[in-house]
Amino acid sequence: MSPGPMRLRVLVVLALRNLRRQLRRTVLTASAMVIGGILLIFSVSLGDGTHEQWIESGVRLGSGHVSIERPEYRLSRRIEDRLPPAVREAAEAAMRSPEVAGNVVATSAKLRISGLASSAAGARPVEIAAVDPPLEADYGMVDDQLVEGRYLEADDRLAACVGAALADSLGLRLGSRFVVQAQDAAGDIAGQLLRVVGIYRSGVPEVDQTLLHMPLATAGAWLGSEASVTGFGVLLNESAATGRVQAHLEDALAEPVARGVVRVMSWRESEPALAAAITIDDFGNYLMQGLLFLIIGFGIVNTVLMSVMYRRREFGVLQALGLTPRQTGAVVMIEGLTLTAASGLLGAVLGVIVTWGFFGDGLDMTAMMQNMDEMTFSGVLVDPVVIPLFSTTRLIQITAFILVMGIVASLYPAFRAARIDVAEAMKFER
Amino acid sequence: MHRTSTPAVRTEAVWKIFRQEAEEVQAVRDVSLRFERGEFTALAGPSGSGKTTLLNLIGGLTRPSRGEIHVAGQALSPLGNHELAALRLRHIGFVFQAYNLLPVLSALENAELPMLLQGVGLEERRARVRELFLRTGMEGLEDRRPGKLSGGQQQRVAVVRAVAGQPALVLADEPTANLDSAASDALLEVMAELNRELGVTFVFATHDTRVMQRARRLIRIVDGAVASDEARG
Repeated sequence: MSPGPMRLRVLVVLALRNLRRQLRRTVLTASAMVIGGILLIFSVSLGDGTHEQWIESGVRLGSGHVSIERPEYRLSRRIEDRLPPAVREAAEAAMRSPEVAGNVVATSAKLRISGLASSAAGARPVEIAAVDPPLEADYGMVDDQLVEGRYLEADDRLAACVGAALADSLGLRLGSRFVVQAQDAAGDIAGQLLRVVGIYRSGVPEVDQTLLHMPLATAGAWLGSEASVTGFGVLLNESAATGRVQAHLEDALAEPVARGVVRVMSWRESEPALAAAITIDDFGNYLMQGLLFLIIGFGIVNTVLMSVMYRRREFGVLQALGLTPRQTGAVVMIEGLTLTAASGLLGAVLGVIVTWGFFGDGLDMTAMMQNMDEMTFSGVLVDPVVIPLFSTTRLIQITAFILVMGIVASLYPAFRAARIDVAEAMKFER
Repeated sequence: MHRTSTPAVRTEAVWKIFRQEAEEVQAVRDVSLRFERGEFTALAGPSGSGKTTLLNLIGGLTRPSRGEIHVAGQALSPLGNHELAALRLRHIGFVFQAYNLLPVLSALENAELPMLLQGVGLEERRARVRELFLRTGMEGLEDRRPGKLSGGQQQRVAVVRAVAGQPALVLADEPTANLDSAASDALLEVMAELNRELGVTFVFATHDTRVMQRARRLIRIVDGAVASDEARG
């Protein structure tokens, strides 16, 4: 063996044996790291699980993880800004491609416009979502949130599902008739009679007060828009696949995208308030996790530094024997890094076991929300049962974080060991 | 005295001045010495006379304020800390008053540490340590940690450690100061034998008369300067 690897072996042996020598101190510090690792995994996976639920709730009520619209539609919300039928067909074909089909849970094509709903009790501005009932049943949440009646069916014509708050304000019950008015494809105001077949409660007040679902075929005949829609949305099995599916759709629709006829958006673009809410929540989580690890980091600095101060003479001996200052520092770096990495990663593994072992089916936070009738955040419904979510990317990030922390926490003690005054350290103390 | 072209150590008008606030302490004053290979020399003097500082200067553990030191023909002043460490590894062995074995390593591991750092292969390391342990009466204690050895035994391991890497010289700072008379005599006998039979160069800093009596050259240091330098039988 050449001197290099031999020296490294010596440094590693010295570092590991020193950790074992101060076993109690090592175990105490390692315990803090293990607990930190568990808490990190627990909080990150619950945070990510919460966000995934927010995203799913948001995209199901909104445009999907990935959506296609005309660029003008986002602001205009006008019926004129419908997607060309060829774009919808190309998008549907692209979503059946094997590259992305595994991630696609459902697709939805909606004509979504603003209008006015009137009954004998009054009139209210509404958001009319004209849907293909079987597709929407797979895609949206309204069919799961019915409090009365049923959801739309394929052969419905004059049926509508309305939010509970809208039904209240218009005095509607199951079977009630009401009229919706909106601008049609020709630019005229047109009215349509509908009958309530279902009443839902999403928990999001602004949705329950305004959104109604009706069959796309009825809307097409009423507004003269036929089967065309204003938006095409894709619901995915995980939000992490958004970028890939978005890129795939952009490739499939390269020509209309290049011409500016359509825009392919991720949920972050179509639901900016939700994206901002998640970013803010993440920031808060990272801040707390950062503070936690800052405290643990100081503990590690303290442990390793104490160990260096206690062993000044040993470091002096090592340098007298021919170890360079850098190699002396490396012994300390290896000690600190081993202590941090081993215990941190053990904590992460235990964190995975604890999080999934005890809370794999979800952590029920209903007790914390019992005083709230409707729990919404940034316009999306918050499920009180949070299912933890963990990804390979997170594992890599957490591993890197723990390693970086080990390096940072060991730097100063290593510097002190390297800079030791050998002659001073070797003085015999009587 | 027999002189070769490259002495183990040569010091040229070496000064070491410590500044403590406004006060200036001249720990070593204008010391010019030459130590040939194979010498068994004692630097004698009272506590605070500058013996240890001189050893530290020769060992490259501290730098002179003025003057130059050559070890195995290499001037120390141009060397950086890393190069000095490499020079110590190749050419200098240390024996300290407090033994200074690494408590986490066994006697054998302590003894072979400099050779490991030098990159000496396992077989040769084990052969050298086995022979030196035999010579120093340490055979059978190879696996003991320092805490399980007596002071005399620890110091013997320190001597083996200092010698095993085959340095140009061994610097021993008060090696017998912590030992009782029997252990001191035994240790001195071991070092004298290593000097005689293997040609290891020893330079001691001591105020132990037993060391002075065994030395073949005795240099007296007073107030940091060489007061006398006599070759002995």
